[in-house]
Amino acid sequence: MIAGSLFKISFDALIANKLRSSLTFLGIMIGVTSVMTIISALEGMMGAVAEDLSALGPSTFFVQRMGMITSEEQFLEMIKRKPLDLEMEEFIVNGCPDCDKVTPRSGTQAKVKRGNEALNQVSIRAARANMIDIVDVQVEQGRFYTSEEELYHQKVAFIGDKIREVLFAGVDPIGKDIKINNQKYTVIGISKKRGSPFGGENEDNFVYIPFATYMKQFGRPGRYLSYIIKAKSVEKLEDAMDQVRVILRSYRHVPYNEPDDFSLLTADMILDFLNQITRVFRLGLIGISSISLVVGGIVVMNIMMVSVTERTREIGIRKSLGAKQKHILVQFLFESLILTMTGGIMGIVLGYIIAKSLMGMIDMNISPSALAIISGVSISTGIGLIFGIYPAMKAARLDPIKALSYE
Amino acid sequence: MPLIETRNLSKTYVMGAENVHALQDVSMTIEKGEYVAIMGPSGSGKSTLMNLIGCLDTPTKGEYYLNSKKVSQMNDNELANIRNREIGFVFQTFNLLPRATALHNVELPLIYNGTPTRDRQDMAKLALTKVQLEDRMDHKPSELSGGQRQRVAIARALVNNPSLILADEPTGNLDSKTSEDIMVLLNDLHRQGNTIIIVTHERNVARHAKRILSILDGRIAEDQIIKESDRNGVH
Repeated sequence: MIAGSLFKISFDALIANKLRSSLTFLGIMIGVTSVMTIISALEGMMGAVAEDLSALGPSTFFVQRMGMITSEEQFLEMIKRKPLDLEMEEFIVNGCPDCDKVTPRSGTQAKVKRGNEALNQVSIRAARANMIDIVDVQVEQGRFYTSEEELYHQKVAFIGDKIREVLFAGVDPIGKDIKINNQKYTVIGISKKRGSPFGGENEDNFVYIPFATYMKQFGRPGRYLSYIIKAKSVEKLEDAMDQVRVILRSYRHVPYNEPDDFSLLTADMILDFLNQITRVFRLGLIGISSISLVVGGIVVMNIMMVSVTERTREIGIRKSLGAKQKHILVQFLFESLILTMTGGIMGIVLGYIIAKSLMGMIDMNISPSALAIISGVSISTGIGLIFGIYPAMKAARLDPIKALSYE
Repeated sequence: MPLIETRNLSKTYVMGAENVHALQDVSMTIEKGEYVAIMGPSGSGKSTLMNLIGCLDTPTKGEYYLNSKKVSQMNDNELANIRNREIGFVFQTFNLLPRATALHNVELPLIYNGTPTRDRQDMAKLALTKVQLEDRMDHKPSELSGGQRQRVAIARALVNNPSLILADEPTGNLDSKTSEDIMVLLNDLHRQGNTIIIVTHERNVARHAKRILSILDGRIAEDQIIKESDRNGVH
């Protein structure tokens, strides 16, 4: 009951000082906006990466010549490794009972043309037809190629959205031809748009072609050969990885006391690694943007100090009428909290809108994140408390006699 | 049991290296229903005495009982409670909140003892009616005359039915006509059974009371009962 009345007193005081209240509110709002923009954008990016990787599915893993590099020594060790080769595929298919599907993967960059329109440096990706069963390839239109097309070295292409956009503006691409380095391919399917998580390499600028067809045009893959393997189930993932490890070690004649000369990676491992290497960068960005929050907090404190001094007499009157220290404290804390929390909420909304439009520029979407909202609300509440408590205590502790005679 | 009883009440202020004895060994009693004026020139210690009686301050030495409660050793919160329930203040400068309406100003003491909003408004309206301001409830202090402001302050002092109304130079900022009106109002309140203490340095104001305590140099110099014959002209 008393708290409700005190809240109304605080609210009325803020309304009575509209300009001052809105300037303070603005200070907090800008601070929270900048932090929220950064948090939302970072979350969006990491989320997009995680989503990309989760397209691999939880039971899928990679076999690669080189793994994740965290030091120069590691790089120097890995660079000496023998490339993977295509003969391994048969050994894995036959020797790994817990592996469900296996495909080699390779790729290169090439020029893709249709009529006078051309795209340079398109990522040409080669995989077997069972790729669609291993990786969650999102088909927008048409279909992925089949094992028959693979068997007969058909020149068919499953294209990324960027290729459709540039080469087939306003035209249905299915059944039409494109040229990859002057060889003709028929478009049979289009992938869903994926955007570019880090604003750099476009995730839609690719063409998938059957592995056998790829080798016919580009030759046997060398160092850029890797494998994607899907285990029979998530529970069998570790068993399947162990089986593949044993097969590869014996195939590549790795002595028992030497480490693997190849790397097995799961989507989780890659995600962990990415999180780890971008952590300092992300914390740094949040830290820098938080400076504006501190500035906002100082603005709140300054305004509250002015407000307490200006209203010394009011405080004296209230005390003479029976207001206790806690009543005065709560009244002034409410004021700073109302300012910072409404500023915080506006900042969260604004930060989200800015982050969304920023991410929109690089063809990415973000959704409101619980983390951003919770941290936004708690940060602004925290600022209201931390920077509001000193002025409020100063008000609460005023001597009623001195406060009453204050001019 | 008297309403107010003080025993050797003393207040000493430390000013630099010097001790200033604002009040020394004041012992007195005031009964319920009395109408007392505390008189004295400025610097006599009457304000200090008023602050102590009003529970705005605590004595350096001595004891003070209000309604048999020992106030002299209470902490801040307990004093706030006593001020809220037992004492109604009327100040020279009115001390109304400038942005609040008359009604809201009168409601203030009720906010701090948790009276529900509806009861609060009813009680505040009743108090404003007692001071004949029922048609000025929604006016802000700046829209009221000096006399009306002091009436709002008196309504605020009355609203909680306190044991004691403590008026500090209540007519100090008013012209003589308005002062007389305010004194008539206080006399009426006394007749209705309220205990009133007026702190003043004006004889004209003090003569309305039934008893005058004269303070000089921090001590009670004279405790005088006013005879009806001396109160001629007083309504």
